Amino acid sequence: MIPRAKLVQQKRDAAVTWLDGRALPEGGVWATKARKAAEDRLRDMGMPSKRDEYWRYTDPRRLTESTVQPAVLHDTGDALPLFDRVDRVKLVFVDGVFDAEASDAPELAGAEISQLRDAARSDLHWARDIYGVLEARGQTPISRPLASLNTAFATNGVLIRVAGKAPRPLALIYRRSQDTADALMHHVIRLDAGAELTLLEDGPVAARYNQVTEIDLGEGAVLNHIRAQGRDHERVGATHLFARLGAKAQLKSFTLSANGALTRNEAVIWLDGSDGTAHIAGACVGDGAFHHDDTVFVNHAAPRCESRQVYKKVLRHGAVGVFQGKILVDQIAQLTDGYQISQSLLLNEDAQFLAKPELEIYADDVKCSHGSTSGEIDANQFFYLRARGVPEAQARMLLVLAFLAEALDEIDDHALAAELRDHLEAWLNRRT
Amino acid sequence: MLNINNLHAELEEDSEVKILKGFSLTINPGEVHAIMGPNGSGKSTLSYVLSGRDGYAVTEGGATLEGVDLLEMEPEERAASGLFLAFQYPVEIPGVGNMTFLRTAVNAQRKARGEAELSAGEFLKVVRAKANELQIDADMLKRPVNVGFSGGEKKRNEILQMAMLEPKMCILDETDSGLDVDAMKLVSDGVNALRDAGRSFLVITHYQRLLNHIKPDFVHIMSDGRIIKSGGPELALEVEENGYTDLLAEAAA
Amino acid sequence: MVALDETQLRDGVDRETVETVQSMAGTYKHGWETEIEMEFAPKGLNEDIVRLISKKNNEPEWLLEWRLDAYRRWLTMESPDWAMLKIPEIDYQEQYYYAKPKSMEEKPKSLDDVDPKLLETYAKLGIPLKEQMVLAGVEGADEPRKVAVDAVFDSVSLGTTFKKELAAAGVIFCSISEAVQDHPELVKKYLGSVVPQNDNYFAALNSAVFSDGSFVYIPAGVRCPMELSTYFRINAENTGQFERTLIVAEKGSHVSYLEGCTAPKRDTTQLHAAVVEIVVLEDAEVKYSTVQNWFPGDENGKGGIYNFVTKRADCREARAKVMWTQVETGSAITWKYPSCILRGDDSQGEFYSIAIANNWQQADTGTKMVHLGKNTRSRIVSKGISAGHAQNTYRGLVSMHPKATSSRNYTQCDSLLIGDKCGAHTVPYIEVRNASSRVEHEATTSKVDDDQLFYCRQRGMDEEEAVALVVNGFCREVLQELPMEFAMEAQALVAISLEGSVG
Repeated sequence: MIPRAKLVQQKRDAAVTWLDGRALPEGGVWATKARKAAEDRLRDMGMPSKRDEYWRYTDPRRLTESTVQPAVLHDTGDALPLFDRVDRVKLVFVDGVFDAEASDAPELAGAEISQLRDAARSDLHWARDIYGVLEARGQTPISRPLASLNTAFATNGVLIRVAGKAPRPLALIYRRSQDTADALMHHVIRLDAGAELTLLEDGPVAARYNQVTEIDLGEGAVLNHIRAQGRDHERVGATHLFARLGAKAQLKSFTLSANGALTRNEAVIWLDGSDGTAHIAGACVGDGAFHHDDTVFVNHAAPRCESRQVYKKVLRHGAVGVFQGKILVDQIAQLTDGYQISQSLLLNEDAQFLAKPELEIYADDVKCSHGSTSGEIDANQFFYLRARGVPEAQARMLLVLAFLAEALDEIDDHALAAELRDHLEAWLNRRT
Repeated sequence: MLNINNLHAELEEDSEVKILKGFSLTINPGEVHAIMGPNGSGKSTLSYVLSGRDGYAVTEGGATLEGVDLLEMEPEERAASGLFLAFQYPVEIPGVGNMTFLRTAVNAQRKARGEAELSAGEFLKVVRAKANELQIDADMLKRPVNVGFSGGEKKRNEILQMAMLEPKMCILDETDSGLDVDAMKLVSDGVNALRDAGRSFLVITHYQRLLNHIKPDFVHIMSDGRIIKSGGPELALEVEENGYTDLLAEAAA
Repeated sequence: MVALDETQLRDGVDRETVETVQSMAGTYKHGWETEIEMEFAPKGLNEDIVRLISKKNNEPEWLLEWRLDAYRRWLTMESPDWAMLKIPEIDYQEQYYYAKPKSMEEKPKSLDDVDPKLLETYAKLGIPLKEQMVLAGVEGADEPRKVAVDAVFDSVSLGTTFKKELAAAGVIFCSISEAVQDHPELVKKYLGSVVPQNDNYFAALNSAVFSDGSFVYIPAGVRCPMELSTYFRINAENTGQFERTLIVAEKGSHVSYLEGCTAPKRDTTQLHAAVVEIVVLEDAEVKYSTVQNWFPGDENGKGGIYNFVTKRADCREARAKVMWTQVETGSAITWKYPSCILRGDDSQGEFYSIAIANNWQQADTGTKMVHLGKNTRSRIVSKGISAGHAQNTYRGLVSMHPKATSSRNYTQCDSLLIGDKCGAHTVPYIEVRNASSRVEHEATTSKVDDDQLFYCRQRGMDEEEAVALVVNGFCREVLQELPMEFAMEAQALVAISLEGSVG
């Protein structure tokens, strides 16, 4: 057993090694200040280690090592990109770098859209109240050094401020080009009181990527967030979503992941105003050398809020699914309604599901529950379908989709949900 | 139609547990046979072995449907060749809509038989009409398969599936269990509407009352894995009157 | 709101609860102290103390070496920090590690020779050390059941009842210090085989300084003719209790074992670091029930026992079965995870727990179900109740190893909050490494239902009675798993533990 103090030192040493020879990006006053503070946080926390309780089920090594292992982009053949049929404003990033040529003009009524690399040069920008601020808050009670690293060094990303109801969705489309690209992307999204936005994300970001999204929702603001992490087998990635919700604000976030050697998706949500709603969901299908980790923290910091976490994982041929989820209810947050479900369907004997679903509750007048299950396809359901004449493979597919349905149901927009469902079905068909 | 010859079956995981011990029965097209018997006589196992559920091993004998060996087929192949089992406990499948389920089943069977799939429009028209007869409302069709259905609704849903799939050989496993008088009548009417010269039924039941509604041509008493007595509808009335004890004693003698 | 189901509240168990609650006088009732002359080993912990304890027990060389090995390992270890507990710095040099009544210097030949003062202590606790007596709470039962008792007072065992009758059945039930003398081959074979010396910080400490505890050996095919019980009493001040219990159930045997514990009220905290090891062989079954009623500290959080306990059962062979039932009401701090290693194919583990934390108590307790064998089964039912300023955490692990195919676990974990200054937490770890196993975990947190409380009060109960009644209903699933001797006591304890939690 390594003494605790020594572990802390090792982590800090690892951060120093990583930082060695890297200078913070140049920028204006606000960005420099935020980046410097983030670097200090990183030095203090150190790099994540597999000995950390927080990384119990996922080895962060490939996310933290100084070189990127080459990852060949998977050829998805004839598969159509998602959201192509949606009337949207499209912003394209290649290996995490903004590609203005390939993008639509960043014009959306009621919204102000800028690129981080431009905004960071100015001395004043609205994003300074959010950039790195929510991330810093997200460092307690658990430290998330990869997010601080991102705040310190990211130069790409989009800053969106919405004042009214955005008439069209904003789509962030990610494409890959280099097999060893190492992308850092940092988005900031602010919805003023009463504003509404649908944010779409799709595509393989880079061979390795570290993405932070900070979201600030004003009173009564509504954000629908739908993200698909493309069918890209060899890439590794870590994402952090930090969201602060004002009174009566609504956040609905859904993530679909199909493959990827390593994915760590963290979400940190604070329900700061009363009567807020946060629904966060994920569906993942993994095959073979696939390690997928959803780590979620929802903090009820005001009364009468509702939160839901719905995570479904379909795993086969040695794929590993991880879920760490926590609902923290502060003493003030009476009348909280908190729900969390994490389930996995293991299609082969060697698939694994590792979960730590937590409740931490300091208010008494609450209704909180969580459930977690793991198992194979239900034999009775399977037989029932076959007894009605449905062939084995089709019966299995139907049950897998039924299993994932509860997560897909979290998407309000039926057309988008149907598109994702088709996407999943295609994946399952191709890989049966 | 269905020919079962000296069928022996035991539990796959425990060969000590022998359930069917030389069961034989021949059902001709258009006939309705009823099997009655006390609990544990092997009635439900018979339906599972015929429809191909995992967990049972056939050690002797066989079963054919229109001369084709049933036991060699996968469950879905048996279904496509015309065998239908109305489950005693219809299975709940959260996440799968009832309509999706029905359409998938109908088209899978049509495809297996080399028939064209029904278009969504045609399918909907047929389902609506048949559902209407069974008093199954639009809401029930939309909900996930059997989830939150009452006992009666589940059984009506089984009959709707039967009506849609148009099988040749229908096995009804304790279809009357959990039904009140009205629901039983509704379900029986549904079954009777499907009776014709080309379709046969095997009605498994513990009580005679279902047979008041679905009139059998033949009644068989099953005990300890085989038929111990066969007769006409009067045999069911005899059971109703006297219970199984005398019949069992007679068979043992 | 649906009208309350009357029968639910009128159930027999609850009516008894109300009566018991009404009949019981307030607060911690075992807080008195026995005045008796004690012999202490010098304060503090070092190799000499370890040697002294070993010498006092007249132990063979191998056991001394085993202890010293544990002590040396302990020195390199750190106190665990992962539990949701605020543990004040413990000065291990400020404790006594060995305390024995002077009158026990010459080991009494039988219980009749034991100092009457000590016997009185147990009588006052309701624990009969005379064989003709039966445990309080079962008097008047149709068939009075016999319970054999091993009474442990601070660091030593006073004696064990029903020895002869048990010996006739081939059952060995004695203190572990006696077992070291009389059955060294058994002790050597099994001691540390379930909880190794370096298993964790507190287990290492216990391995170094354990003074006494109980030893149970049930031979193959024997159904133990009576319940076995150990009653632990901490009496002396600034004295840690480090007992070690070892239970071995041979093939096809069966035993039910009860454990009870109390301590005087004191302003200073006291340390209790026990280890319980259970070995369950083919087709054997062990049921282990605990009603833990250590002094929990006063309403301001002063004093109380720090309870750091390692309990583990190893279902070593096929179809072995173990069942833990615990009612945790005492201790200022509880750190305890009775666990099951399901090694044998088709083996089974069960864990039923009620943990009540009131005032300033802190509890971090739960279980581990480690499925190694095929077709193994486990079930966890945990009921946590928090009141006052208390913090109550369920922490559990369910692990399905790759080879533990076709296994099952079901976990139900419910928390109840009384008042808005306390906390209820749930920290399950679920690790499934094969597909054919099925794991289901459910957890809920809620407050005492206002409608139920109102219903009770409208029927004339005061608020505390009403809360006790509703809480007992909440705990029913666990209470009914307790042996009869404990069920009554446990229900009363639930009520007492919650005193002052409302209003």
